[in-house]
Amino acid sequence: MSHEAETHQLEDNITVDSEASRLSQISLGVGAVALAGAVLLGLGDLAKLQRAYLVAFMYVLSVALGVLWFVAIQHLTNAKWSVVVRRVAEILANNMILIGVLSLGVVGPMLAGSTDLYAWLDHERVHADHILHHKAAYLNVPFFTVRWLVYFGFWIWLGRRFFKMSVQQDKDGGDHISKALQRTSAPAMIVFALTLTFCAFDLIMSLDATWFSTMFGVYYFAGCVLAGYSSLALALMWVQKTGRLATSVTQEHYHDIGKMMFAFTVFWAYIGFSQFMLIWYADIPEETHWYHWRFEGGWKVVSAMLLGLHFVVPFFGLMSRHVKRNKRSLAFWAIWILAVHYVDLFWLIYPTGQGTVPFGLVDVLCMVGVLGLFVGVSARRARGVNLIPTGDPRLADSLAFENA
Amino acid sequence: MSDSGETPAVVKEPEQVHGLLAEYTTPQELIEAARRVRDAGYSRWDTFSPFPVHGIDPAMGIRRTRLPWIVFCAGLTGGSLALFFQWWTSTVDYPWIVSGKPFWSVPANIPITFEVTVLFSALTCFFSMLLLNKLPLPSHPLDRHRRFARSTDDRFFVLIQASDPKFDRRETARLLDSTSPRHVETVMEDNVTPARMPRGIVFALLIVGSAATVPFALAVLGRYSTSEQPRVHIVPDMDSQEKFKAQRKNPFFADGRSMRADVTGTVAHGELRDDDHFYVGKVNGAFAKTFPEQVEISLHTMERGREKFGIYCSPCHGADGAGQGMVHQRARALLQGTWVPPTDLHQENLLYKPVGELFDNISRGIRNMPPYARQIDTADRWAVVLYLRALQRSRSAKLEDVPESERGGLK
Repeated sequence: MSHEAETHQLEDNITVDSEASRLSQISLGVGAVALAGAVLLGLGDLAKLQRAYLVAFMYVLSVALGVLWFVAIQHLTNAKWSVVVRRVAEILANNMILIGVLSLGVVGPMLAGSTDLYAWLDHERVHADHILHHKAAYLNVPFFTVRWLVYFGFWIWLGRRFFKMSVQQDKDGGDHISKALQRTSAPAMIVFALTLTFCAFDLIMSLDATWFSTMFGVYYFAGCVLAGYSSLALALMWVQKTGRLATSVTQEHYHDIGKMMFAFTVFWAYIGFSQFMLIWYADIPEETHWYHWRFEGGWKVVSAMLLGLHFVVPFFGLMSRHVKRNKRSLAFWAIWILAVHYVDLFWLIYPTGQGTVPFGLVDVLCMVGVLGLFVGVSARRARGVNLIPTGDPRLADSLAFENA
Repeated sequence: MSDSGETPAVVKEPEQVHGLLAEYTTPQELIEAARRVRDAGYSRWDTFSPFPVHGIDPAMGIRRTRLPWIVFCAGLTGGSLALFFQWWTSTVDYPWIVSGKPFWSVPANIPITFEVTVLFSALTCFFSMLLLNKLPLPSHPLDRHRRFARSTDDRFFVLIQASDPKFDRRETARLLDSTSPRHVETVMEDNVTPARMPRGIVFALLIVGSAATVPFALAVLGRYSTSEQPRVHIVPDMDSQEKFKAQRKNPFFADGRSMRADVTGTVAHGELRDDDHFYVGKVNGAFAKTFPEQVEISLHTMERGREKFGIYCSPCHGADGAGQGMVHQRARALLQGTWVPPTDLHQENLLYKPVGELFDNISRGIRNMPPYARQIDTADRWAVVLYLRALQRSRSAKLEDVPESERGGLK
């Protein structure tokens, strides 16, 4: 309540320069070494390397999209509770330039003519396959390139706008910047939904170009939000561990982040099952083969794992209020969700009809490499900025925030 | 004494003290007062505020609600009940094959399980919240209190009830005074509002309650009675479509018939059937003894014939053609008196029937076997005849009939 807000003042240390520098150096070093190792190891089997890299790339993209969505929805709803945690999300979301550069690792080989991953790039197969031939109006290199530029152009612009305006507000203060960002968020949310959906179609669904599911974008979105919230919680915990934001981010804020993790765990299962049931019920061969591939051999175990570890276990695990209000237990579930999110993307991207699950060192190295770069660049960006939007007029409300 | 200024209309008994009411102007004062009352050890008291005040629960010493556990159990109950009931109806009580799916398959039952879980949780949450808060509360002594009306506007109140074991009019008043309230006063028991519910409401509840049992009574009645009347159409469904049926009158056409005849002197596209051998099975008016030239005598045609025979003929005649198909066995098991057994296709007279006549039997039916011209097209009916010939031959086959390469496996 406002009466209490007057008593809440920001007393914390809110910049994190030396620790961020150290984290950045370590992460960038580990990331670069791991990526180099992955490339060396994967040179013998480029198709495998590309797939491993695609999983890792879609993973960090999902984290960045998740936090970008978080920032947008906070502005859109004029949220007060989240102001103290929003800057960390803004820093993470401002990484879209890095993600854009990383996407060259996926798009580069496509433009260079590699047809290892995407069958629709193969002219002869498109010519021979009736369905691919029909889809060629959408799945062709020039149109894909345009879409790819639009996706990343928009995301980079949005992430930078949220970050820069917010930092500007630190200096100038005032309500007008909050209002301007709120006005941006409404149309941006629509464009965000479209770009995320079609990006998921283009980069993951088109791996099996004959298959289609209009729900696929929402499925990827559910994973994005889960990964975004979990990463945000862990990033805040790291910042607090360095002694920053010690009193401004409280268990009340973690509680709310935990609620969203719980909610989107259910949402992920809801969307995943809805997609499955419609296909199972209709029983049309064009659609069922996608699940058939995932229910055969080793993939059967992975599918069962997803159901149990991505939904059932965290559903009961995150249900309790105490779990969400305790930093340790929330950290445990955040790491859990980030781990099963990797399994989820692996499960989306890898199966091609063979029963074996080809998880190997290249996958680990790719993931560690890309994640290392992401963490390293995020930490670099965190230097020299306030970790709390001090100019936001809703800051006092956020500091005083309590769950009823 | 109450300064509400209202004179009770009917005084039935001397007024009794309900409790002491203290009034505050800010939520901070309310929280502070609540802490003091809590620490003084009172148990029957409450606070009132126009809006939720953060921190009032610990200030009042209220433990966290048990509601989440109640809702959790209700959700589990709802989910398992829904799953169990679907399993029981579709596999035990009324097993029924729907689109070739198994009687029991989990995916189809998840949406209902999900919905019932949510329904149970939500309803339990709502009603448990009411019950735990001792609601609904039709009347309360404070309802008649004029100052208390501002508890929905800009005032905050603490009420300590006289029924509290620690309540002492002077001690309690002193405690409340020490919390610097704007005002403290005594609240009297409500002896105006009748203790019993008004008759009108009782009658209305009785009528609504009885009416609510009617649908269930009708459902029970429907289960245990039969009727000559057609069923009630609440929503007109496919039974009554706006269309004309065959053999019915139709005022639209001059001849008054719904079914339209072919236009005289014309043949529809692809309907010219001037080859009697192929379409009727006759050559010069007698049944053909040979296959028409359109039918290719090949393994491919044979396979086609076997497929169609399996689909259309084997249910009655059996896969081996001996007349022991599933339909026949079922009719015998049910002791159907009027059942005419299907013909054994290996009978002597059938072996010498011309292929044209076999074709005619399939096309137009024979005895109680229905015509199949509508279901199996012409070329396929010939393929069935070809397969039937092979089937008959198999009964009297000699080793020489088998290709030399496969004879080894038969010896």
